[in-house]
Amino acid sequence: MRLFCHNISFRYPNAENDVFRNLSYQISEPGFNALFGPSGVGKTSFARIISGEIKNFSGEISSQGIARIAYSYNLERLPGWSGVGTHIEQNIPPAQKRLKDELINVFGLENCIHLRFSQLSMGQKNRVNLLRYLLEGFDLLIMDESLANVDEQTRETIILKIKEIFPETLFLYISHNVIEVSKFCKDILVFRGHEKSPLMVRGQNLRAGQALNQSVLDKTMLEIMNASV
Amino acid sequence: MLLFRRIYQFLIIYALGIAFLLLLKYGLRLSDYVIPGPIEIWRIFGEVFRNYFGDVMNTLSVSVIGQIASICMAFFVGILGRQTSWFGSFVKVAAYNIQAYPIVAIAPIIFILLGDGFVSRLLIAAMICYFPLLLSVLGIMSEPIDDIEHFYRVTGRMRWQLEIRIRAYENLSKLTTVISGSATLAMAGTIVAEFIAANEGIGYSIRVALYQSDLSKVLAALFLIGITLSVYQGLLELIGHYIKEKLK
Repeated sequence: MRLFCHNISFRYPNAENDVFRNLSYQISEPGFNALFGPSGVGKTSFARIISGEIKNFSGEISSQGIARIAYSYNLERLPGWSGVGTHIEQNIPPAQKRLKDELINVFGLENCIHLRFSQLSMGQKNRVNLLRYLLEGFDLLIMDESLANVDEQTRETIILKIKEIFPETLFLYISHNVIEVSKFCKDILVFRGHEKSPLMVRGQNLRAGQALNQSVLDKTMLEIMNASV
Repeated sequence: MLLFRRIYQFLIIYALGIAFLLLLKYGLRLSDYVIPGPIEIWRIFGEVFRNYFGDVMNTLSVSVIGQIASICMAFFVGILGRQTSWFGSFVKVAAYNIQAYPIVAIAPIIFILLGDGFVSRLLIAAMICYFPLLLSVLGIMSEPIDDIEHFYRVTGRMRWQLEIRIRAYENLSKLTTVISGSATLAMAGTIVAEFIAANEGIGYSIRVALYQSDLSKVLAALFLIGITLSVYQGLLELIGHYIKEKLK
């Protein structure tokens, strides 16, 4: 599995500056990787270029062993005419039923699966949305603040479980939480605005059962913060 | 509640209108021939009520059929025209251009070709409420609901039926308002058609009253038209409200 982005430049129509210029990025194995940076530096634009939703960019994107890519984001909604559980049920292959039940349990959604989407809290909405994408079996799933408004403990449980259940999937995690990306992601691409090229920082890539090395985590966070300046 | 609000709103406006006419009558010392007094209006109302009520029902039945035909047509063309293809653009441009032309102006052609019967009235009623409906339906159906549709597009599950269902559901309030508003247009279209050339319906009765210069009859007709339309629109809104509540 390999994703290779070479010399990607992109500018929105009528904008004065490029969002980024000559950005090269490579991921060569499955796992959790992150795009990090303040709002407006191009994380979402880059993610949408990778997923194929933005086409008018220059540069080259190639991949090996990645057939299905999806970009998911935290403001997505489910249609309101029936309950969340019914929607998910209708959209998954029968073979995924066991996985669905497991994810509902891990995501802490047992009590709200019968409700309509509009009746859920923001955190529950984001979890339900992420859950349905995970059940689709994408090779590369981009999670743009997909766990926003979810409490820290649940987020940690969810990320660790996703890593365990989907070891062959490549995840690109977009978050503004420096501790989270430092702790759980392998490669962290730090965006620094249109004047500076993004920098790559190595994260701790924590897995279930592994002990957290606090000094390494502190160092990673410091590197990210320095890169962001 | 919606139904009663519609009715009392109409009653207030109608009462204000009558009060204004009477003010004009007594202020300017106009004769009963120009503006009849309240007793005369009441007497005529009692005299024509039965016939006019039948006429209003006749007009309303044509309006309802015309409106239903318009809604079906507007949804059919609106669904076809929602696409970003050349056909969709063609339908949109054509709809915007045609609706700019006053339909009433071509009513005489319809009467010349089809005579002054039911079909002419129906056609004019349907045409008058069709274009505003079409523009609304086109607007609603062409506007993607990205935060819902995204998942279905990414997973390849999006079908045209689902797309329409999502957009209609998300715009249920707008659709209900447009449909209930189009009832007024359909009724106005039918009355105009009857007024121009038909030989039945409340529009025809108003034309006769006009030739007789009988304002009491016109006021009685207006009251019955208003109250009937208020009840009809109120019922449409009630149905829309019930559907929305059921789908919540």
